[in-house]
Amino acid sequence: MMWRDVGVTLILSLILPVVAQGARHTPPGKPKLTSCRSPDKETFTCWWEAGSDGGRPTTYSLFYHKENSETVYECPDYHTAGANSCFFSKNETSIWVNYNITVVATNALGNNFSDPVDVDVVYIVQPHTPENVTVGVLEDEDGPFLRVSWEPPSKADTRSGWITLIYELRVKLEEAEEWEEHRAGQQKMFNIFSLHSGGVYMVQVRCKPDHGFWSEWSTASYVIVPDYIPRERSMWILIAVFSAFIFLILTWIITLNRSSVKHCLLPPVPGPKIKGFDQQLLKKGKPEEVFNSLVVQSFPPRSTDYEDLLVEYLEVYVNEKQELMPEGKDLQDVGCLKSKSQSDNDSGRGSCDSHTLLMEKCGGVESKDESSYEEPELLQGQAGSWERLERGDSQVVDTPDSSDGRVKTWPLVFSPSIHGSSDNHHYGTLEMPKQHSTSEITYSVPDHLFPTSTSFPHHHHPEYRDSLGEYSEYRCSRSPSTGVAYHWEARHPTQAHSNFNIRNLERQKEATGLGLPPSRSMEYVEVQKVNQENQLVLKPLSSHGRGPFQVQFGRAGVDYSKVNGVNNDNVLLLQRQREMAEAGQYCNYREKEGAEAERYPTQQQGKTTKDGPVATQLQESTCLTTSGYVDTAPTMPTF
Amino acid sequence: MSRNNIKQVWALLMVLVCVELRGSDRASAAPICVHGQAGCHFLSLADLFDRVIQHSARMHSISSDLHSEFEQYVLPSRNHIGRINRHCHTATILTPNGKENAQRLAREELTEVILKLLVAWKDPLWQFHQNMVHQDDFNNFSSNKALEMSYMVHELRKGVEKVADKMQHLGMISNSLSGLSSPEALDPSSDTSGESQAMSDHDLLYCFRRDSNKVQNYLKILKCRIVPENGC
Repeated sequence: MMWRDVGVTLILSLILPVVAQGARHTPPGKPKLTSCRSPDKETFTCWWEAGSDGGRPTTYSLFYHKENSETVYECPDYHTAGANSCFFSKNETSIWVNYNITVVATNALGNNFSDPVDVDVVYIVQPHTPENVTVGVLEDEDGPFLRVSWEPPSKADTRSGWITLIYELRVKLEEAEEWEEHRAGQQKMFNIFSLHSGGVYMVQVRCKPDHGFWSEWSTASYVIVPDYIPRERSMWILIAVFSAFIFLILTWIITLNRSSVKHCLLPPVPGPKIKGFDQQLLKKGKPEEVFNSLVVQSFPPRSTDYEDLLVEYLEVYVNEKQELMPEGKDLQDVGCLKSKSQSDNDSGRGSCDSHTLLMEKCGGVESKDESSYEEPELLQGQAGSWERLERGDSQVVDTPDSSDGRVKTWPLVFSPSIHGSSDNHHYGTLEMPKQHSTSEITYSVPDHLFPTSTSFPHHHHPEYRDSLGEYSEYRCSRSPSTGVAYHWEARHPTQAHSNFNIRNLERQKEATGLGLPPSRSMEYVEVQKVNQENQLVLKPLSSHGRGPFQVQFGRAGVDYSKVNGVNNDNVLLLQRQREMAEAGQYCNYREKEGAEAERYPTQQQGKTTKDGPVATQLQESTCLTTSGYVDTAPTMPTF
Repeated sequence: MSRNNIKQVWALLMVLVCVELRGSDRASAAPICVHGQAGCHFLSLADLFDRVIQHSARMHSISSDLHSEFEQYVLPSRNHIGRINRHCHTATILTPNGKENAQRLAREELTEVILKLLVAWKDPLWQFHQNMVHQDDFNNFSSNKALEMSYMVHELRKGVEKVADKMQHLGMISNSLSGLSSPEALDPSSDTSGESQAMSDHDLLYCFRRDSNKVQNYLKILKCRIVPENGC
């Protein structure tokens, strides 16, 4: 019997748990409050989610108690808001009161409490979506635009100011992906511009209280934008058409005036403008013919009366040492070599010294060759600057006024530059410091000798250098009346013993003041040029009828070369007297400032060749003079 | 002769001008500006309300920021024990807890409630700011906010008093409010001085955030009741 009871008990005890396990009943799982929301700040709803139900039907209940109160209330309404919700009506809702809410899940086996949640209704407001969202297309002068209008949700009381809502809307084309959002503030209307013509737009609106959550987006409203041409695009089209039209007109005009436009934009390089210069001849390769045309036959003004052309003669006293026989002649250049002897008592004065000479004579010749010469700067020459040569080593030369023992060398050749420049004669005094080793020549051009010069502006000042081997440059400015300007550079007659006296002889009156030392031989020389050693190359005047020039001093050759003209390179074109028919030889001098050696390009048979800086021998450069007197001193470099 | 005439004319002109000015002075009781005129400094009641409401909104936003900062940085290190039994020192002030309740109140009472709240918070906020300066719980940014908060309460109270004066002036509310402006009647600190000091910082911030929200809401209701416009 006992064994039977024990067996049944054992069987039952083994079966029951198995049976019980099959039908698993546990207390419910813990529920959880998910959210509480208030649409109008007057009521609110709380939702929860259930835990495991434990196999048994479970009931949920919500309990709450208000802040600082121990009274626990149960949810008044479980159904209005749906399943697992609790709805608090207006009567149960108190604003600015903290609710402590708990959900309890109960089943047959037990219950389970959720975690409590504190809720203040003010901070859980989430209104409904705005209502009556209407979208319309309106026309403007810029084109169509959308006007969206809506109304606040009916439940939210904005009339009394209880809730303040702010709105937001979003727009997109139907086929687009991204929304375009706009904040509308508290207004209930919004305009949307810049629409795609013919597009379909979708619009949605939502709202939010000042402290709370955003509502859901309203249902989309569709709108179709009618076709139109954007004013902006039409404006651009108009501008493009207009500019194309203008462009066509401009092109047509330019095409018509092609040549003048080209002339305006790319001005042609001016060719040489030499009257009488024929480029075609040059191309043919016969330069002598070309240059022949440049030669003005009437220049220099020929007169059989060479006396007229003579400015004056310089008496040159040559001592033993010296070799140079400076000869002062009328500085016959292109224009300025007419001289009249002055009655003033200054011996040794050059042609340019005499102001009256220059005024009268220089003006005459100028006009002819104006076009032929191109160095206006060279047209200045000092009228009548003279050099004062030292006698011996240290003898001071007095002013030319005192005549005895004066040595005056004629200024060397000037390059005649006849142009329209109306510079004035510039008379200056140039004092060269004494050079010890080599030549020492002081140039002095007394100002008082040329009283007229004061009235002229001084365009250039004589330059002089202290160092050896340099030369001084005078510039003779042209007087406005005469129009003739010439300039020459006074060189050091760098003879070491350039002690020679040159006495200037006037043509009409004689400078009788010169007293010549008996030991000295006196003859008229003509300063031909200065060689590379800065030596005055003189030729005696008496050897008029001799043959070609002997360039070195002391040689007898005397020849006066007539200046035919000046070519482009500031070169005096001298004409050989005997070779009038020929082109003549031309002595081209080109010098540079400083200690550079002279160049003596010689012209053979009308061809000009320019040698290098190294000067050729003097013998080679023969300059023939014919009827005029030329001071074939090296020309001034062009400026 | 002409000089004398000119002088007489000038004198007459001056006299006339002076009379005009004096005359305008006598009429200075009337407002110079008409309501709504542009460029005029005369503020209408609606404008005053708008200003005050804006002020209260800003005050509330600052208090919210401070409270959230406090909960985020300071509170986790502290206990939550006193949390449920929060007790604001302004609990003695009866405030409407709902829309109907607020609308049932008379305008004067509503204004009075607002003023009471504002008065009640002036000192505690100042204390709070003083405490915060010495503590390390908050950074400088927060301490500036606390200072601004206490300042704004003071300003808002003055603004609401002005609004109340204007309302009384316009006859919209009775003059019974003037009796409440005495500091003794409004200031609850004399009654709850001990309680205000016992409040913790967190409670203070929580309470002030709520009370500033109350003030804002009450002002809006008052405005829409007194000067109903399209904003309401």
